[in-house]
Amino acid sequence: MKILLAEDTADLNKVLCAVLTHEGYDVTPCFDGEQAIERINNDGFDCLVLDIMMPKKDGIEVLREARSKNIVTPVIMLTAKSEIDDRVAGLDAGADDYLTKPFAMKELLARVRALTRRKTEYSSGDLRYNDVALDGKTFELSSENSVRLSVKEFELMQLLILNPNRRVPCDYILQSIWSREPDAQADTVLLYISYLRRKLKAVASATVIDGDNAQGYLLR
Amino acid sequence: MKTENSIYGEHRPALEATMEALLQHIEAIRAVMTESLGMDPVEHSLARIKSEESMREKCRRNNLPETTESALEKLYDAIGLRIVCAFVDDVYTIRDFLVESNKYEVLQEKDYIRHCKPNGYRSYHMILRTANGYHAEIQLRTISMDTWAALEHHLKYKKNLGDRTALIGSELKRCADELASTDLSMQTIRDMILEKE
Repeated sequence: MKILLAEDTADLNKVLCAVLTHEGYDVTPCFDGEQAIERINNDGFDCLVLDIMMPKKDGIEVLREARSKNIVTPVIMLTAKSEIDDRVAGLDAGADDYLTKPFAMKELLARVRALTRRKTEYSSGDLRYNDVALDGKTFELSSENSVRLSVKEFELMQLLILNPNRRVPCDYILQSIWSREPDAQADTVLLYISYLRRKLKAVASATVIDGDNAQGYLLR
Repeated sequence: MKTENSIYGEHRPALEATMEALLQHIEAIRAVMTESLGMDPVEHSLARIKSEESMREKCRRNNLPETTESALEKLYDAIGLRIVCAFVDDVYTIRDFLVESNKYEVLQEKDYIRHCKPNGYRSYHMILRTANGYHAEIQLRTISMDTWAALEHHLKYKKNLGDRTALIGSELKRCADELASTDLSMQTIRDMILEKE
């Protein structure tokens, strides 16, 4: 996992680099805002750790530039003192979290883990439930055989796998998957559940989707 | 071709009559299903007697002597039928009708729809032995499965793929899986429509 660290205080930069590297991250250190922006433009990162007070360009400018280019990488801001205005400006500019100096290494690591967790757990890897695998990159649903799911079918299957022990209500499914399509209705959910039921059977899986629109749905 | 030279000996007319009877049986099943579904389940069907040449070639490939016995008793596809259905469920319904008619001895069934071949091939294969002692291979599949098989057949003979062999193989498999997925969606849509009626 790649992290960009922008911190102008050489000693702190060095220590943070060492700790993050030790935790298994691939760290790119930068010492001012311009350098940070250049690296962000030329390389992809999983998390950006930006100090607010930096020479040439401050952390908030770096963040604004990145966000204006549709870079949605999670960002943690480091604030020198507990300046409320700094924190508000950082969050408003699109930061996901902040830490006030001085901070404990343990806490920084926990916050980096929290911000990068969603990515590693959900989108990059494969999901599994019983005898079924769902490939996040190819949308392939497989057990003994495989079929390719459509985007909506994939999202629905993913939602069911990520909620293994509770009934997912029809309303919740509509809100999470069809939020941008006002024409979607309960029957839409029913149809997509029916598609998945068929496809689970077709890949020769023993897993079934239990339930109906009234009770909600659950994988078994 | 003179009878004494044919690998089928004097059996050709009987083979043709058997094939014709099978086709008529399929037509009868089709009529019953059309009634109950309100739509024709069969898109088209084909029947053929395996050509002399391919039968002899198949004997050689299987280390069998090129005799009438090999062609009729050791190999089972002298008569071949391919029934192409509109929807997946119709494949299984026709299969059930054939089995439950008790007209045939079912020697073998291979469900390559439920257990598709590694390259993505899907079809339902049956080997039937008719009352008069001939064998027939029946292939049941949907339009999409037939489409894929036909297109893949065209590409199979393009050689010299070199280091792209694996890529092309996996892409053909992906196409098969996408078509299969669409087949299942169409089936589900039909179910929803029939449920409303």
